[in-house]
Amino acid sequence: MHKNPLLAARDLQRAYAVAGRATGVSVLDGVELNLNAGDSVGIIGPSGSGKSTLLNIVGTLDRADAGSITLDGQDLAKLDERALAEVRNRKLGFIFQFHYLLPQCTLWENVLVPTLAQAAGNPSGVEDRAKKLLNRVGLGDRLNHRPGQLSGGERQRVAVVRALINKPKLLLADEPTGALDRHNAEELIKLLLELNREEGVALVVVTHARDLAFKLGRVLELRDGKLHELQEVEAAR
Amino acid sequence: MNRFTLIRRSLTFHARAHAGVLIGAAIGSAALIGALVVGDSVRISLRDMALARLGKTQLALNSGDRFFRDQLAAAIQTNIGTNLNIRLASAIQLQGAANSVNDSARANHVQVLGIDSSFWRFADQPPGFTDIPDDSVVINEPLANQLNAKVGDTILIRVLKPSLLSRDAAITPQDDVSVAMRLKVQAVVSNAQLGRFSLRANQVAPFTAFLSRSNLQSRLKLPGKANLMLASGDIDAESADIKLEDSWKLADAELELRPAPAANEIELRSSRVFLDPAKIAAAKAAAPNAQPVLTYFANEIWHDTNTTPYSMIAAMGPPVVPTDLSGNEIIINQWLADDLNAKPGDDISFRYYLLDAGRALRQATNTFRVHSIVPLAGAAADRDLMPDFPGVSDAETTRDWDAGFELETDRIRPKDEQYWKEYRGAPKAFITIAAGRKLWANRFGDTTALRWPANSVNTNELASAILKNLKPAAVGLSFVPAREQALTASAEGMGRYFNWLFIGFSFFLIGAALLLVALLYQFGLEQRSTEIGTFLALGFRPKEVRRLLLREGVALGLFGGVIGAAGGLLYAKAMVSGLTSIWSAAVGSASLEFHFTIATLISGIFGAAIVSALTIWWTLRKQANQSARELLNEGGDAAAQRFDASAGKWVLVIGVLMLLGALGTMAGAFKKGLSSSAEDFFSVGAMVLIGGLLFVRVWFAALNRKSMATGNDQLSMTRGQLSLRNATRRSKRSVATIALLASGTFLVVAIAAFRLDATEDAGKRSSGTGGFALIGESALPVSQNLNTEKGRDFFGLNPKTMDGVSFVPMRVREGDEASCLNLNKAQVPRVVGVKPDQLSGRFTFAGVADGVDSSKPWLALERGNFHPADGKPLGPDEIPCIADFNSLMYALEKSVGGTIDMTDEMGRPFKLRIVGAVANSILQGNLVIDESEFIKRFPGESGYRMFLIDAPPDKLKDVSAALSRGMSDLGIELTSAVDRMNAFNAVQNTYLSTFQVLGGLGLLLGSAGLGVVVLRNVLERRGELALLLAIGYRRRELQRMVLTEHALLLVLGLGLGLITAIIAILPAILSPTGGIPWRSMPITLLAVFLNGAIWTWVATRIALRGELLSALRSE
Repeated sequence: MHKNPLLAARDLQRAYAVAGRATGVSVLDGVELNLNAGDSVGIIGPSGSGKSTLLNIVGTLDRADAGSITLDGQDLAKLDERALAEVRNRKLGFIFQFHYLLPQCTLWENVLVPTLAQAAGNPSGVEDRAKKLLNRVGLGDRLNHRPGQLSGGERQRVAVVRALINKPKLLLADEPTGALDRHNAEELIKLLLELNREEGVALVVVTHARDLAFKLGRVLELRDGKLHELQEVEAAR
Repeated sequence: MNRFTLIRRSLTFHARAHAGVLIGAAIGSAALIGALVVGDSVRISLRDMALARLGKTQLALNSGDRFFRDQLAAAIQTNIGTNLNIRLASAIQLQGAANSVNDSARANHVQVLGIDSSFWRFADQPPGFTDIPDDSVVINEPLANQLNAKVGDTILIRVLKPSLLSRDAAITPQDDVSVAMRLKVQAVVSNAQLGRFSLRANQVAPFTAFLSRSNLQSRLKLPGKANLMLASGDIDAESADIKLEDSWKLADAELELRPAPAANEIELRSSRVFLDPAKIAAAKAAAPNAQPVLTYFANEIWHDTNTTPYSMIAAMGPPVVPTDLSGNEIIINQWLADDLNAKPGDDISFRYYLLDAGRALRQATNTFRVHSIVPLAGAAADRDLMPDFPGVSDAETTRDWDAGFELETDRIRPKDEQYWKEYRGAPKAFITIAAGRKLWANRFGDTTALRWPANSVNTNELASAILKNLKPAAVGLSFVPAREQALTASAEGMGRYFNWLFIGFSFFLIGAALLLVALLYQFGLEQRSTEIGTFLALGFRPKEVRRLLLREGVALGLFGGVIGAAGGLLYAKAMVSGLTSIWSAAVGSASLEFHFTIATLISGIFGAAIVSALTIWWTLRKQANQSARELLNEGGDAAAQRFDASAGKWVLVIGVLMLLGALGTMAGAFKKGLSSSAEDFFSVGAMVLIGGLLFVRVWFAALNRKSMATGNDQLSMTRGQLSLRNATRRSKRSVATIALLASGTFLVVAIAAFRLDATEDAGKRSSGTGGFALIGESALPVSQNLNTEKGRDFFGLNPKTMDGVSFVPMRVREGDEASCLNLNKAQVPRVVGVKPDQLSGRFTFAGVADGVDSSKPWLALERGNFHPADGKPLGPDEIPCIADFNSLMYALEKSVGGTIDMTDEMGRPFKLRIVGAVANSILQGNLVIDESEFIKRFPGESGYRMFLIDAPPDKLKDVSAALSRGMSDLGIELTSAVDRMNAFNAVQNTYLSTFQVLGGLGLLLGSAGLGVVVLRNVLERRGELALLLAIGYRRRELQRMVLTEHALLLVLGLGLGLITAIIAILPAILSPTGGIPWRSMPITLLAVFLNGAIWTWVATRIALRGELLSALRSE
């Protein structure tokens, strides 16, 4: 274990209120998670086990009821909304089951949308990076195409480039292959792992698909509100 | 399970989604039904008012200044019999004025009715009394309110004393023209008690005072006379006229057959002094040997230095005047020969007042040679030769003469008085009838009597024969179907347009509601795309799926219609209440009541349901055309993926054509010179609006194409560009929103420019006031010339006050007001006679007929100056006429070049040829003709009753006060020309206000539609927005982005609406009286913007609140 992990989650607790019940349903109950730069982790678990909740908390989209998270040395609990938004924009990248590309924008514009969240506008060099990444995912010749003109797998690759445009330190993928066929799903995981290595970005993938999860460095299972280490994939390789 | 069950289940399951559609349909239905019910209310109220003013009256005979025996009604009743339900009553109807004893309240233009108990039988609810004591008066509610009088109070009633010889005649007495009575209010009668009685088609109840007929008869010295007869029951005008003809007597035609013993002749004479041509013709046909007589009086007869004052001269035939007497010879009696010391062969002269010269009292002099001298005996001493000159024939002495001129009493010698005492008006000189007519024939006639030798006729037989040859209608006695006319007037007037008017006013509201229906239904459908896909997958054909959905839509439309019906009734109630209060100017202060018919309600519900269903059908057209796979696989995401910003070249072409069309229409409008044609306004507006929207569409498409076209050259992107791109994402939806806002803005802004303000340019002769400062209307006619010192002196008007004041007097033939203030259709419009040159250069003409010299349009009123374009001269029964453009178009439904059928005083039909139309003026409600034509057609209408008055602005108050004081006995009512113009303008302005209010409501609803669009757009993109949140955007930034893109739609809508409005009203702005409403326009625009912004903000807040990130969760 590194001395200064990229992400350190300690004793995360999260419960949801349920109508008619005095106590809520506990989803996360003492989750511990450490990630270092360049790590790749697959999180699996049954439906409703809290995988996406954990990912949202890690991704600052949600807050834990208790516990702490440190990302890149920053205690996320101490950050206000503005700082959290900046964290998301600069240090995190997201990929969801649905790509959520803006249909009115071209592929190129979609990729650049995250840069607009920064007050200064497009940072320098971002266009070169966008071109490079799009070439990398095989879409360099389709910059002016609209999402409607792409296949499902291509759309999800654009979503990956969009997630990486601001050079995040941690890439969070919530069921990224959920809407893809088998072939495209495997291709996407392959791409994510390659980018994980090439970009040095840590990768967390939440998925139902155990076989895909086992392609990642580590596989954790969320069960009874806690994470259980299943294997060190790297070691097995 | 059947399709009905399926529809029922769908309706209940999607109840929440349908609620919005239902509300939209209900609002549309409420606006539509409300408009129809307003129409019902106006129509039924007008009908009720028409019936209330007539009670049970079926027919009416109104003979104006011609009086028949009050017993004529009884005679006709006897003729008809009493076993039928037909009842008749006779009355006296006169103009008058009323005021409270202390003069604190006054009512000019009071209808004074002299009635007996039979009148009340015509009331739906006869009052508790039958007779009115001589010292009492019964008044109606409007008069009671005006005078603030109650039962027991004393009021003053002044009535015009009818003159049998026109007051225009030089010799008619001018003093004592009215009778004033101090009367105690016996009762105040309600509408149901016939308090509203009137024969005029107008929704405003007149001021009416009811007096005992016998009392009025004696006060007016018209014993046993009446000029109004009413008939109730099952009888038509034709049958009543036949019964009248069977029952009438010579006295009913104001004729009298009586012996003239001095000449041993039978004489036919008239209380009107002169015999009408129709009467002469009838009498001559009855006994052809009639000899005409024309007796007039000379102010002075002289020979050398000898003079004889005030003498009658008769123009007649044998036996006194031999047939061989030449035109320049005169026969004088011995008395005159002695007095003048004249003998045969001498020249004698006489001077007399020209009868037609009116109050100018011009005299003419003629010289005749004495043919012979006759002894003062027998036929030459016939006092009956003098007709019943008012104020003269019944005078005891010559000094007592009360004629229309000042008697020079110092010239009257004792011998003159002696002559009067012994021989009364026996003529002192005789000339031939031809010579007499040359001197004295006038518009009232050329014969004062017809005579037959007593032994040649039997009086009774002659009377019967004359009556047989004379039609009552020829002397103004004929029944008119008053009830039928009243119902026609109420049904065909402006009232019938009110449902359409209010549908027009509510059009935007209805349109906005339907757009809401379309938007909400569309959204509902998008949410159900997987359901539609399932139907298709299950083997339904797209058409069947659409049909299922349409049936759901029809059910929704019908429910909405029914719910809207209740709202519509409330809406109509509010509108009616508005029309009787803040908008009362639009309905001429009619006391409208809320009415509706079941038929209207049902047709409204179905109409609204059909319109809603059509809207839903329109929305459905493209639904279910997607494949089942698309719908099922992409589901809700399909909508998000759809991108509809394409726009073909044809869109641009149509847009350009629209703008060119608008330019062409405007050029046409300028060429026509019409500044505010509604058709041009709406067509230019529609074309610019559609063209503009198409351009927006093209622009949006271009924006979307831009990045593709420029490739990688422009790689950077700003937030503004992103917002713009977002706005163009659903371009049809965005354009629809812009369309709604733009049309609303266009209407609300443009309407403000059509507001009329008479204050501006009021002093200009070309304006609607004609440059006149005051309008005077008197209840009683004025015969004096108010432009002369003498005329002003007559009314005690101070010359200093009246310095710089001039009058354009107008003769008035009362009729129905043909202006926008009358909701009834004018059946017999009011005609005014004026000297055309007095209006030269006044007012602005909206149009003149071909053949009219447009530089001097007023002069076209003179027969000789109008040369019809077809080359055919005007027929003798055609009279050129000029009227206000609005009166012609809306009240009479006529246009320049057309004709209006009229009937003259003698019942003869004639036509008014419209040779010009004056633009929006104080002349509304009147048909203006040349005074000389007026006099020929309505010789009985004496004097002037309408005055257009020029007065220096700084003296207006003093002039007004002086005239009111000096002419109060004539019931003068002075109105500032600007006020009158504003009263007319108020109608249009109130319509505009109504339109603006309802348009504003529509805009409010349209803005709510914008809110719905925002909500829907955001909800549809919740995932995308959540993602933006995930990648570092803050919630506030998202709100700002959504607001920006929708504010863009708002600004585009407002901008396009504003530009369209300015272009459409350009002709009005550039017209002499037009202008941009600088004050109201920015306020309106700001209000519309704020309203839209608030809805957008609220919708954005609602859409972005809550767990936005849940949209991203896959679990």
